[in-house]
Amino acid sequence: MDKIDWEEVARRIDSRDLPIIYMEDVHRYYIVGDIVVKALDGVSVKIYKGDFTAIMGPSGSGKSTLMNLVGCLDTPTSGKILIDGEDTRGLNETELAYIRNRKIGFVFQQFNLLGKITALENVMTPLLYTGGISAHERRERAEQALEKVGLADRMKHLPNELSGGQKQRVAIARALVTRPSIILADEPTGALDTKTGEQIMELFYSLNKEGNTIVVVTHNDEIGNACPNQIRIRDGKREA
Amino acid sequence: MVIQNIKLALGSMKGGKMRTVLSLLGIIIGVASVVTILTLGNSATGSITDSITSSGYDLIYLSPAFGSKTRETFDESFAERLRKNVDGIGLVMPTVSGNARVRNGSIVTSTSIMGVNSDYAANMDYKESYGSWFGVEDNIFKRQVVVLGSDIAEKLFPGGNAVGNYITIFRDQGKKYLVVAVMEAKDASLGASFNSTVYIPYNTYTQRFQRVSGVGTYIIKVAENHDPKVVNADATKYLDDLVGTDNYMIISSASLAEMVSSVTGTLSIFLAAIGGISLLVGGIGIMNIMLVSVAERTKEIGIRKALGASPRVIRGQFLTEAITLTSFGGVVGIVIGIGLSKIVANIAGWGFAVSVNACLLSVGFSMAIGIFFGLYPAAKAAKMDPIDSLNYE
Ligand SMILES: Nc1ncnc2c1ncn2[C@@H]1O[C@H](COP(=O)(O)OP(=O)(O)OP(=O)(O)O)[C@@H](O)[C@H]1O
Ligand SMILES: [Mg+2]
Repeated sequence: MDKIDWEEVARRIDSRDLPIIYMEDVHRYYIVGDIVVKALDGVSVKIYKGDFTAIMGPSGSGKSTLMNLVGCLDTPTSGKILIDGEDTRGLNETELAYIRNRKIGFVFQQFNLLGKITALENVMTPLLYTGGISAHERRERAEQALEKVGLADRMKHLPNELSGGQKQRVAIARALVTRPSIILADEPTGALDTKTGEQIMELFYSLNKEGNTIVVVTHNDEIGNACPNQIRIRDGKREA
Repeated sequence: MVIQNIKLALGSMKGGKMRTVLSLLGIIIGVASVVTILTLGNSATGSITDSITSSGYDLIYLSPAFGSKTRETFDESFAERLRKNVDGIGLVMPTVSGNARVRNGSIVTSTSIMGVNSDYAANMDYKESYGSWFGVEDNIFKRQVVVLGSDIAEKLFPGGNAVGNYITIFRDQGKKYLVVAVMEAKDASLGASFNSTVYIPYNTYTQRFQRVSGVGTYIIKVAENHDPKVVNADATKYLDDLVGTDNYMIISSASLAEMVSSVTGTLSIFLAAIGGISLLVGGIGIMNIMLVSVAERTKEIGIRKALGASPRVIRGQFLTEAITLTSFGGVVGIVIGIGLSKIVANIAGWGFAVSVNACLLSVGFSMAIGIFFGLYPAAKAAKMDPIDSLNYE
């Protein structure tokens, strides 16, 4: 195998010459009993650094499946996926966890905060798994991330002492704190009212302006169409 | 990371206090019983061997059997011959004993009576509370004097003032004996129940109470710098050759003490094994609670994995939780065990000696149980599929 010049790759990703997310003919099949569910059936995607992309499509079309594959929570049945230039084929659980920690920031519909620890501790958690970061630095970076999402005054609160919008802000701070290459948000406004949802989208826009690459899954055409780029999926395939 | 894991473990223990205690009950009971048993075993053995050796660790008791053959061997010159043939023989004190009825005024009682030499008390570490032990002359001239143990003195002279008064010994045709001393109370030890015995000079005894002469028991002190067990063994060999195994009995306080501690030791091991089994059962309880905990926290595991926790990290988290849990149970068990044995030792009047080994063993064992029974639940958590666990409701 040729030796990869990672500096060259990084430079080309920065200059949008290479995509930061590259999927080629990706299939993801589930076998349920004797039925094969083709959740993704030959999807190719290129997303570049600094993009703000909406993934749209009807329920069950395969949007979450796609996000999970990009986020290295799942592995494809076949096809090629490169994250930040790195081929994820054949990586083991530990290596996938490493990529999730360093390169991906997740935001979920149901927030998925750890309920027994404070907002600040929630945001510090990913840095714990990065390793080699002092407790002091973990705290400092988490505080910065919470300030960025406008929650400097809620750091010591437990998740159940926060509103839905505030919880989602904590989740976004947690996604940001590792300075990931890509932020993946699967219906981040799905559990919020319209106004709060708009505020969360505003936050994503401003984060994108600062250079973050963002992928958002949405049901909402209004939200999706407002995004600079769209990927439409139907029955596990891309729509033209 | 380890500190974080311990914090997490303590947090989840605090979150379910009742559950923590219930799941730890097996470990707590197991550790408490192991510590109690081993500690009490120590104390009991200590107190029994103490009483066996209360007159010294260096005593050997030699009792010839009855019969004309032995009477010839165990005569006045036997001590000299023994000393010549066996290394490490110190003082040899011949004693004779029997039972007799004694009387003071209207008080009559039956008791043991013992003929000993004038140096007996000093050599047995036996002290007078009134008067003083009879002297050499009393023995040579076979005088009618007695020394009373504390119990028999109390019985015959309820008002005190025994010294200077007379008691009657029926076996000697109702002759009167002058009480010259009353002794302090002393715990019964091997071959001697001090407090209820009436002591008279050895020669007085042989002349007045024995139809045929012969020593009852030789009390032999092992010479300094000699191992009582070795001397005992050497003496046994010599006597076997001299009179045959059946014609005497020999026992040393050292070997008896050793025998007692080996018996109580075996008993302790047996009881500790029962405690160990209860620890094992406790361990299964831990495995159960850990499996429940892993299942309940499926979502949490999914979230942590999404944030980049590797399987190893997840395994470490749950293993630490199991170990923290069982160690906590171990410490609680030790505290209860020590408290319990202190109470029992106080009631039984034994010296109290905490078995440090038992404590270390118990904590080590409960940690090992944490590792052993936590490994499977932790591995199960580590192997969970990230998406399935994230979607778990
Ligand atoms: N673990 C699984 N086992 C079997 N089938 C699955 C599994 N996960 C997803 N699927 C199927 O794959 C298809 C795509 O599911 P996916 O969750 O990606 O849809 P989606 O576009 O995210 O839908 P929604 O908008 O409702 O969230 C669906 O038909 C679903 O039933
Ligand atoms: Mg979905």
